[in-house]
Amino acid sequence: MAEKRLQPKNVDLRPDRYDRRVVYEKCGRAKYISHLDLMRAMQRAIKRAKLPIWYTQGFNPHIYIMFPLTLSLGFESRVEIMDFALLEDIPNEEVRERLDAQMPEGMRIVSCAAPVHSHTEITHADYSVRISSDETPAKMAELFEDFMGREVIEIQKRTKKGTYKPVDIKPSLDVRGVSYDDKYLSLEMRLPAGGGFNLNANVAAEAFLDMYGLKADEICVERTKILLENGEDFC
Amino acid sequence: MEVIKNKLEKILLKATKPARYIGGEIGSVIKDRDKVDVRFAFCFPDTYDVGMSHLGMKILYGLKNNVPNWWCERVFMPEKDFEALMRENDIPLYGLESLDPIKDFDFIGFTLQYELSYNNVLQMLDLAGLPVLAKERTALTPLVVGGGPCVCNPEPMSDFFDLFILGEGEEVNLELLRLYEKMKPSNPTKEEFLREAAKIEGIYVPSFYDVEYNEDGTVKSITPNVPEAPARIKKRIIADFDKVYYPDSFVVPFSEIVHDRSVVEVLRGCIRGCRFCQAGFIYRPFREKNIDTIKNETKSLCEQTGYEEVSLSSLSTSDHTRINELLLSLSEYTDGENVNLALPSLRLDSFNEELLERIQAVRKSGLTFAPEAGTQRLRDVINKNITEDEIISTCKMAFEWGYTQVKLYFMMGQPTETDDDIRGIAELSDKILQLYYDTPKEKRGRSVQIAVSTATFVPKPFTPFEFEPQATEAEIKHKQDILKSAVTSKKIRLSLHYSNTSVLEAVLARGDRRISKVIYTAWKKGCYMDSWDEHFKFDKWLEAFEENGIDTAFYANRTRSYDEVAPWSHLDYLVSHEFLVRENKKAHLAQTTRNCKEGCSGCGIKPECGGVYCGGKKTST
Repeated sequence: MAEKRLQPKNVDLRPDRYDRRVVYEKCGRAKYISHLDLMRAMQRAIKRAKLPIWYTQGFNPHIYIMFPLTLSLGFESRVEIMDFALLEDIPNEEVRERLDAQMPEGMRIVSCAAPVHSHTEITHADYSVRISSDETPAKMAELFEDFMGREVIEIQKRTKKGTYKPVDIKPSLDVRGVSYDDKYLSLEMRLPAGGGFNLNANVAAEAFLDMYGLKADEICVERTKILLENGEDFC
Repeated sequence: MEVIKNKLEKILLKATKPARYIGGEIGSVIKDRDKVDVRFAFCFPDTYDVGMSHLGMKILYGLKNNVPNWWCERVFMPEKDFEALMRENDIPLYGLESLDPIKDFDFIGFTLQYELSYNNVLQMLDLAGLPVLAKERTALTPLVVGGGPCVCNPEPMSDFFDLFILGEGEEVNLELLRLYEKMKPSNPTKEEFLREAAKIEGIYVPSFYDVEYNEDGTVKSITPNVPEAPARIKKRIIADFDKVYYPDSFVVPFSEIVHDRSVVEVLRGCIRGCRFCQAGFIYRPFREKNIDTIKNETKSLCEQTGYEEVSLSSLSTSDHTRINELLLSLSEYTDGENVNLALPSLRLDSFNEELLERIQAVRKSGLTFAPEAGTQRLRDVINKNITEDEIISTCKMAFEWGYTQVKLYFMMGQPTETDDDIRGIAELSDKILQLYYDTPKEKRGRSVQIAVSTATFVPKPFTPFEFEPQATEAEIKHKQDILKSAVTSKKIRLSLHYSNTSVLEAVLARGDRRISKVIYTAWKKGCYMDSWDEHFKFDKWLEAFEENGIDTAFYANRTRSYDEVAPWSHLDYLVSHEFLVRENKKAHLAQTTRNCKEGCSGCGIKPECGGVYCGGKKTST
């Protein structure tokens, strides 16, 4: 009896696994789902879709899913990635359809394929940022030009210990487009992401607002690309 | 709708766990508002995390939304941070499905699950932009209705509600909404509608009753003042429980809630009759579902929600007449689907190796038992029919299986309790601890912890203890001191809970209509979210009692005579007054009463209510 209890629960499961990578959207109401909540939501969606999902092979088997890059609470994206493995080689389009049918409002499964790149190859991500504040968009655009002209842009980054240390984000800030309409200042930014140094688009936006004492009304962020070192799309 | 949605966009990220305030969960029901004739806001007067765990809401939400032209939405009490943001931005309380303000709905329904949530009802009505007093809401809609266990004595809340729904809601909710749907086109006045509604069995319209008081402050009489209102309002009951509506889908929240899993109700009512337990009397008679029904409901819920855990809900799951077969049959399904089967509410005397193995398969951590009293004498008084031998043998088995934590729940301040009974708690805990040391080293776990928790007994209506006084704060403190000095081992951890909330709970539970004024005054002074320690303001409550000339001791600490007119005496919960009196007398003689399975004790429930042991229909597979 005792020996039986010491064995992992699903040790007799087939070892064959078919890795899958899906690209999904997280927009609208779904942008308020936190990363931790998203893990649970996706596990449940997979169960509802009745996909023959591969469980981890330990004492406490659980559905194996991986997200290479977290998306901050409140950000939208159409390029999010989730990895999992199946026990059967189900066609990609069928996997996409079955999982898509289980998505909550604001989420959609865009595509499904075998993974190509490894998570560690991610170095950057692109973001569209729209800002409205107590200043007009035209004036904000002017100030932003001044902002980007600075030699050093220092922010206080929270360390794991809970203390703050000054970090210069200027070298990491790759602004690829500035425009405005009657409501928003719009920025296109490429920021470091992945296993190494990460810069959050909100942090960059707030560094700008803080420097000029602007009071944000709304900051809307959408992740538009996840990129490799050589500038190609992660897939 | 767009207005609230746009406003929310700007504030949601400033709130903690914003996913609770925006809806859009899988399983939530979205309808076209132009094709809907009756809109119902189901309000749980506590936070999302608590309210979303509540089974009754899931049942009634599904039930009403099953009707194509009715739309039932969920509403919860926002946390204080988000409530402040809502008020700053002029966002009224809204339904999570449509994001429409609930003040424009036809019905606003509250479930009253515990007394300390009463003031949240006022706060939510206010946040919705409505007057909290029923008499100030003169239009037909929204009709503010209440249900749940606390409406067995809704008198303290009678100023705020238009009507109460007594008993089980699965049929009467439909009848009430159908009546409304039928009458709505003719634009009735509120009173016209309420008069018709009062004819439905189980509907109680408090404004149709006059209450008179005796000089000593007790209730003299409660009499109807319109011909439509019956002298006694009978609670509703589902006689054919196996066939009752049960949802095949739940709203699956994004953020983690208290009970984040599928729940299947396996039985309703309880055979035991523990004399302190309100649920044991107001949900009578004992009815159960067939194994196939339970299995189908489990399967369909697990498939629809994707939950990895299903829990069996009841007052005492092991009392199902075919419990072993049920578990065997269910685990065939759950094991195959990697779903955990959780079994809360198991009775101590039902423990056997087979059951322990089932729980073991899920997680081996701690066992929790509620002996409720430290001595056999007092357990007999409260009719908690478990013996010390049963407690000992179960704990012995648990330690041999490697369990290292045992949690024990006790109550303090029960009728006839003496200092010896309190010392008995320590003695019992010591005996259990010794069992661990007596367990061979190779079998037992590495260390041991006995956690002893005590709570203050609160006498409740429709129990044999409804006549009893609650122990005063000084008495409880004395009992706690005795227990503290009687416990010597470091392996026994005591959490002696005394909170002033027990006093408030006692007053609200057995209060009359005069308590409405106190609730109103306390709410005006900022009292709500009273079940949350950090928000509970007892000093403000005391001021409210004082200003209204109400003595808490009159309601909490007074022995009530058997022939006193109880504030809830016009409500019929089917268990007879004579039975409660008989049980009270037996309690004082420390005599136990057999459970329904062993033989009928004549509680007054009629066979046609469908009770398994009342001569009603027996269960089949």
